[in-house]
Amino acid sequence: MAHGHHIEIVQEQFSVPAKAKTISIILAVVGLILTGVGFAFLGDSNSASHSKATAHTEATHEAAGHHDDAATHEVAGHEAAGHEMEHGNVQTEKFGPRIDIQSISHPPMVRFWASLLIIGYYLLLISLAALMFVAIQYIANAGWSAAVKRVPEAIYTFVPVAFLVVFAVILIAKNDLYHWAHYEHLGLKKGDAGFDHILAGKSGFLNTGMLLAFPTILAIIFVLIGRKLRSLSKAEDAADKGETRFFKKSIRWSAAFAVLYGFTLSVIVWLYIMSLDAHWFSTIFGVYNFATGWVSALTCIGLFVIYLKSQGYLKLVSDEHVHDLGKFMFAFSIFWTYIWISQYLLIWYAHIPEEMSYYQIRYENYKPYFLVNLVLNFITPFLVLMMRNAKRNRWVLAIAGTLMLVGHYNDIWLMVMPGVYGPGQNISILDIGLLLFFAGVFMYWVLIALTKMGLVAVNHPYIEESAHHDVGV
Amino acid sequence: MGLIDKNLSLRNRRKLILGIFDDEDKLMDASSALVHEGVHIQDVYTPYPVHGLDRIIGVKRSNLSVVAFLCGLTGFSLACLMIWYMYVYDWPMNIGNKPERFTPSWIPIMFESTVLCTAYGMGFFFFIRNRLLHGIQPELLHDRQTDDTMVICIETGDGVNESKIVDIMRSKGATEVRERNGGVQTTI
Repeated sequence: MAHGHHIEIVQEQFSVPAKAKTISIILAVVGLILTGVGFAFLGDSNSASHSKATAHTEATHEAAGHHDDAATHEVAGHEAAGHEMEHGNVQTEKFGPRIDIQSISHPPMVRFWASLLIIGYYLLLISLAALMFVAIQYIANAGWSAAVKRVPEAIYTFVPVAFLVVFAVILIAKNDLYHWAHYEHLGLKKGDAGFDHILAGKSGFLNTGMLLAFPTILAIIFVLIGRKLRSLSKAEDAADKGETRFFKKSIRWSAAFAVLYGFTLSVIVWLYIMSLDAHWFSTIFGVYNFATGWVSALTCIGLFVIYLKSQGYLKLVSDEHVHDLGKFMFAFSIFWTYIWISQYLLIWYAHIPEEMSYYQIRYENYKPYFLVNLVLNFITPFLVLMMRNAKRNRWVLAIAGTLMLVGHYNDIWLMVMPGVYGPGQNISILDIGLLLFFAGVFMYWVLIALTKMGLVAVNHPYIEESAHHDVGV
Repeated sequence: MGLIDKNLSLRNRRKLILGIFDDEDKLMDASSALVHEGVHIQDVYTPYPVHGLDRIIGVKRSNLSVVAFLCGLTGFSLACLMIWYMYVYDWPMNIGNKPERFTPSWIPIMFESTVLCTAYGMGFFFFIRNRLLHGIQPELLHDRQTDDTMVICIETGDGVNESKIVDIMRSKGATEVRERNGGVQTTI
């Protein structure tokens, strides 16, 4: 080892450049302004269909209360449509038998909560996946990544923030966002008008207690493990050269995290997102969301590494590491597509109405989003990042990565919005505002987190190996 | 350049100088010293990949990825042709009332065929180009070059200073320096 040129392992201390601070603050402020503008338009979009629209912010229960009737009617409508499906004539058009999907009206504020849920959930997926990335590097005894390890370690410090955003949204607006929560709120018994046997059957799992408690407990555990891993990393930096005690401890914590994350991420995904379409289910949905978060996290890691390189930091990181991150982005875009098409294909082929309702609305009422999803998340990375030179070119990587991040936002938007509203929504100025605001906050947060530790894991057992990392000619 | 790389064959070589090494660091040192002196290294045989060596001796990037792309394209086209012939042209079938023309149900077959042709194509081309395919007589320069010994192979000719090469190899820790003339090796 360590042949030829010797590479000095030197600690680097990052301080956030003024320009980066300004840019993230500008992003956040522009985002806030756009959000404000979006608020001004909030009333308009729904006023036609919801004449009683009131601008309550906190009185969700009241809001839920006063459109009980509408919702009961809604549930009954769904039920009737279901019966027609089972017993009536089955139409076979291009998309098979149709379910009549109606637009659901909500108080205007719900549009804001839904938008906040999307961005909060997106960042939660990304930051949890960054923690998983660190854990996997430890478990696999990976050498190459030791030089970039501090970047995912900084990204996962965002877990508590993202979780709190999602949790606050759910606490405030769950009865509007989740029609099963609203249904639970109605407290219907068997035999009552509007009784929904599917939701009643799922209520053992799909209930408010579960929605609030389960992800919260897990998030707390994840945050604690994340902090533990960071403190071990910090202790390792301060230790003597060749001290592997902290590394071995990190492997154990990582293994614990990976198992927990692997088994429970799906459950969090079911509760937060899949239950928006509470009558529908997909067994691959957890993996699908994992793929979304994972590829987005890899992209974020890539973008931060490219940024730090451009500022003259991370001297140990060479084109080889950037190339490997590019490979990850390319490979997991294809993995995402594989999972995405698997879910689509099985539902398309099986032709079962209750499964198809998910795609019927998303394909027929949200076709542009559906196609943009495929273009940004599959075709772009596939064609742009296929060439070796593209993966070693930081500009190409940065542009492709940004497009992918936008694409995966679109993906999550498409999971959430039709589930909450039915047809008729569009990515609005409010969504863009919140996206920009949180992009700014996320950037700022991660950059600050990067200053809390040295940028180089100087005493990592594999830092030498990482410094000499070479993917070959 | 044919399908089988004649440059890799040792059969037609006039005279080779072989440096036998038992340590990869010494091997890399010797290689860079030789290259530094302007010697063209024919090839280096190692029982396992030595990282960084390819850059030192100036191995060019392989075109295997282009082969992979073309194989993939072939597989994709074959799948399209096959599905079209079977399912649209020759014997249309009604399966679950799905349309016959291009549908999502074609995707898995296209995907599998693409992957199959890419994997097999790359495998075969890799072995053919490296003269490792079954049936090609292997040419070993050293009995233990697939075990624990590494060999630097340099072709001599006009304008090659043989004694300098031998000196560099010795000084960089070669366990043995040999000369191969017409298939017969002698220690020098």
